[in-house]
Amino acid sequence: MGEKRRWLALPGLSVIVVFAVAPLFAMLYFSFQGDSPGAGFTLDNYTRFFEKQFYLSLTWSTIKNSIYVTLVSLAVSYPLAYVMAKKLKGARNIVLVLIIIPFFTNQLVRVYSWLIFLQDGGIFESALASVGIVNGPLGLLYTRAAVVIGLVHAFFPYMAITIYLALEKLDNALLEASASLGASKFVTFRRITLPLSRPGVAAGVLLVFVPCLGTFVEPRILGGVNGMVIGTVIEDQFFRIYGWNFGAAIAFILLAMVLVSVSAFSRLGRGESRE
Amino acid sequence: MRRKPTASYIVAVAMLLFAVLLAGCAGSADGKPVLHIVNWEDYGSDAPAFVAAFEEEYGCKIVNQYMQSEEDLLTKLRTSKPGEIDLCLPNCTILTAAIEDGLLAEIDTGRLKNFDSLFDRFKTQKEVMLNGKYYAVPWVWGATAVAYNTDLVTMPPSSMSVLFDEAYAGKISFRDDYNDAIMAAAIVTGQDPNSPSDMEAIKEALIAQKKLNRNYWETGDEFTKLFTGGQLSVAMMWSGQAASMKLEGEPIAFVVPDDGAIGWVDNWGIVAGTKNEDLSYAFIDWMISKDFQYDWASSGGPAPVNREAADAVDPEYAAAAAMDEASLNKLYFMEYRSDEVKREWNELWTEVKAAN
Repeated sequence: MGEKRRWLALPGLSVIVVFAVAPLFAMLYFSFQGDSPGAGFTLDNYTRFFEKQFYLSLTWSTIKNSIYVTLVSLAVSYPLAYVMAKKLKGARNIVLVLIIIPFFTNQLVRVYSWLIFLQDGGIFESALASVGIVNGPLGLLYTRAAVVIGLVHAFFPYMAITIYLALEKLDNALLEASASLGASKFVTFRRITLPLSRPGVAAGVLLVFVPCLGTFVEPRILGGVNGMVIGTVIEDQFFRIYGWNFGAAIAFILLAMVLVSVSAFSRLGRGESRE
Repeated sequence: MRRKPTASYIVAVAMLLFAVLLAGCAGSADGKPVLHIVNWEDYGSDAPAFVAAFEEEYGCKIVNQYMQSEEDLLTKLRTSKPGEIDLCLPNCTILTAAIEDGLLAEIDTGRLKNFDSLFDRFKTQKEVMLNGKYYAVPWVWGATAVAYNTDLVTMPPSSMSVLFDEAYAGKISFRDDYNDAIMAAAIVTGQDPNSPSDMEAIKEALIAQKKLNRNYWETGDEFTKLFTGGQLSVAMMWSGQAASMKLEGEPIAFVVPDDGAIGWVDNWGIVAGTKNEDLSYAFIDWMISKDFQYDWASSGGPAPVNREAADAVDPEYAAAAAMDEASLNKLYFMEYRSDEVKREWNELWTEVKAAN
């Protein structure tokens, strides 16, 4: 039965091949093309990227953004997911809906809401000022912190949901057994809960870190003069100067970084669950 | 029963295709010639009132297809078959490439009765010519220069260097555009904005300028938000948007400083291989006529190339929108840039934005 139904995957597979794999190879071809007509195969686009120091510092700055966003998302999501999975009963679905709401919001609307919220004289500043925490302009908009806030809001649901699913599968009997054998709550968490939720954490980290590398809308709108990321460079190449070849090369460098992080994070998740 | 929906589906698709084919022929089916134009959307030349008047006058039909960018227009011209497009609207950054590739037909300016009314500057604009022959006709122009908040700045800035002035640190906004950034920095460093020689000096000036900005703006809307929030004293801005913000009562003024600013021109070209030559000439003549140019310029459009139209615009509004002759004569108009120059300029701007 299982053998015979394999053809059911055909429609899905052909969509992937036609709309994802084939264009990917077209882009790969462009990335090895010279800019002058008839230049043929060349590595120039790649060497150009690695020769210029500012492309590398831009890449590092983009990676740092992603790391901060991932860490903040983890710090926010784990406790939330734990409470949802182990403490809440009926309210669970309500919280889940609240987490998913950012998905239903248009990206630009979300970013502009943050712009209005964070700007000097904005809602956030007034709220802090009214309880006497700040005095004068907040200066938060157009900083890296603003970018991280905007990106965490966009991506933390992936983290919260994957961790929640891992924790929900965790059998409560294990926790009760641990307690009955005299383990403190902290030891139970460290020895039982944390290791068993590790695959969920690894998947969540991957789902936040990787898309963060390619975003350019949040950094550009919330990041101010220092809001340039590697995604912006790709966008400029494609839309402003029709530099498809160089743009494609940067896109593949980014893809290589993504593949490296995917393999690293999935090893993290697998390694632990095997123990 | 199972097969039936499939059969009726095929019939439906076939009928739909047939209908599309019919619609495609409809233009010429009733005998009227069709003028195909590659145009900017919502840019005067596609206004319904004008289109209706022109179609009525010349017994033809106008079909606009819209371009997304100048590069997009160049691609459309290169890939279309002769006769598919009659008219197009390039600016000077791609015009030379279009003319040199033989994409545009030579224009006999003697067939345009309004050509004589153009400002001399536009009659002799070198980007529309090759070997002394015309291949396009200038239509409208505008300036990218300095806007300032009249509540915060009392003296009109007299130099582009106001955008690089530490006195306004944190209250400046610069345009996020490689062309505008480099041309402005070239003016400030005393170089030819269209072919600067010392790119290193430009880079240093822009990197030093970077930390003075409240933000870079890219779309007009981003600028409006910052300005109306009172966060800007001076900024790089477009003449048209500054004028319309002033009309809405914002405390904004626009000035083309004495050391110059950036100018742009949009031009009409007749595409080589057109089958509607007479109609195309009639269209361009209408576009550069005093009446059309005056009506659009005085209702929020860009500046007219027709001197009679410019003279008729209310002088106060003309000065506020920098469409007066004094402003015109101070502008450095954007010229053709080769792909190589575009790449070099864009990379320099990327380096500036990546600098800490």
